[in-house]
Amino acid sequence: MVRKAFTYTLMILSLAAIVYGGFGRKFTVFDNLEKFDQLKNLGIKIKLPGYQQESPQLKVESQAFTEPEVVNATTFDGIGRYKDGRLMSKYPDLRMLKGRRPCPT
Amino acid sequence: METLRLKVQLAFAILFNIGLFQWHTVCFPVLNCHSCPISVFSCPLGVIGQFTQLGLVPLTVVGGIALAGVIGGRILCGWACPFGFAQELLYKIPYFKFRIPSWTRFVKYGVLGGLVIAVPFFLSTQSPLYFCRLCPVATIESAIPWAVIKGSTDVAWLSVRLVILFAVIILVMGHRRFFCKVICPLGACLSLCNRVAAVFPERTEDCTECTVCAKVCPMETDPRAKGAAVFDNHAEECISCLECRKKCPTESIRLWGG
Repeated sequence: MVRKAFTYTLMILSLAAIVYGGFGRKFTVFDNLEKFDQLKNLGIKIKLPGYQQESPQLKVESQAFTEPEVVNATTFDGIGRYKDGRLMSKYPDLRMLKGRRPCPT
Repeated sequence: METLRLKVQLAFAILFNIGLFQWHTVCFPVLNCHSCPISVFSCPLGVIGQFTQLGLVPLTVVGGIALAGVIGGRILCGWACPFGFAQELLYKIPYFKFRIPSWTRFVKYGVLGGLVIAVPFFLSTQSPLYFCRLCPVATIESAIPWAVIKGSTDVAWLSVRLVILFAVIILVMGHRRFFCKVICPLGACLSLCNRVAAVFPERTEDCTECTVCAKVCPMETDPRAKGAAVFDNHAEECISCLECRKKCPTESIRLWGG
């Protein structure tokens, strides 16, 4: 009886964690413009939706990502933190990661 | 039953590494490296390590592991884990077989707390002590393939990883499911759920306590161990492989609902 009570309680909690984590939880991730500039200085052209390639000055943009999207990004080691604690994409923009394969960590 | 289980394990190993599509937003709670060039799902341990470094808890991943554990305990270790499958095959190789002391099963909890959680939290995922940088599965599925694909690698570090991989292979050849019993942090997570697992092997009134089940158990569980009896107390190590059911002379073991 006690075991069943634990089982059902844990099942409900884990389902709640999955549902909230999967659909409700959002992470604000900021673009890594330093990396963007480094790439531009190397002559690498970056095509990203939402950015004007010709724009001389790029502003840091933040985007809200769902937890599954962040999980996907972490498989690329794609998210870090700025010194002030904000979440930061280790790539110029996390949208770059769509359809790519992760490198070994 | 064993043939069926090996077929199921093979099917899962192919499914996890079919390479036709990538679904890294989803973690399947088995040990299968997401850095593998053909992997489909992400590895829960890799994601937990990365999130821990950021000071976050991956709710979907932890919830997924807990849900899998609450439903079936370590059944995924026995039926779905590709590395468990590899260990089953490696153990079939004729080689010196040995036993290990029972306290070694607690080592995996230390690996979980230390190398998967504490190292990325206090140091970094770039630390050489981080579990993914030592993991033998990552060496097979990621480090070696990427070294071949890219044509370059950190030779010194790859050598260290290969030594660890070689040591694990030798130990697995000598002791059945050595990695699952002693090292696997994911097995540690699922072991914690075994006690409350809904689907679990149980014995009926026909049991004569002949202990044949204890002799064939790959995880060396004991049906009579005080407080940790495999059927009565849902022992942590049971992977629900049902080897015991196959050998039971009175056919008194069944999976819940079976």
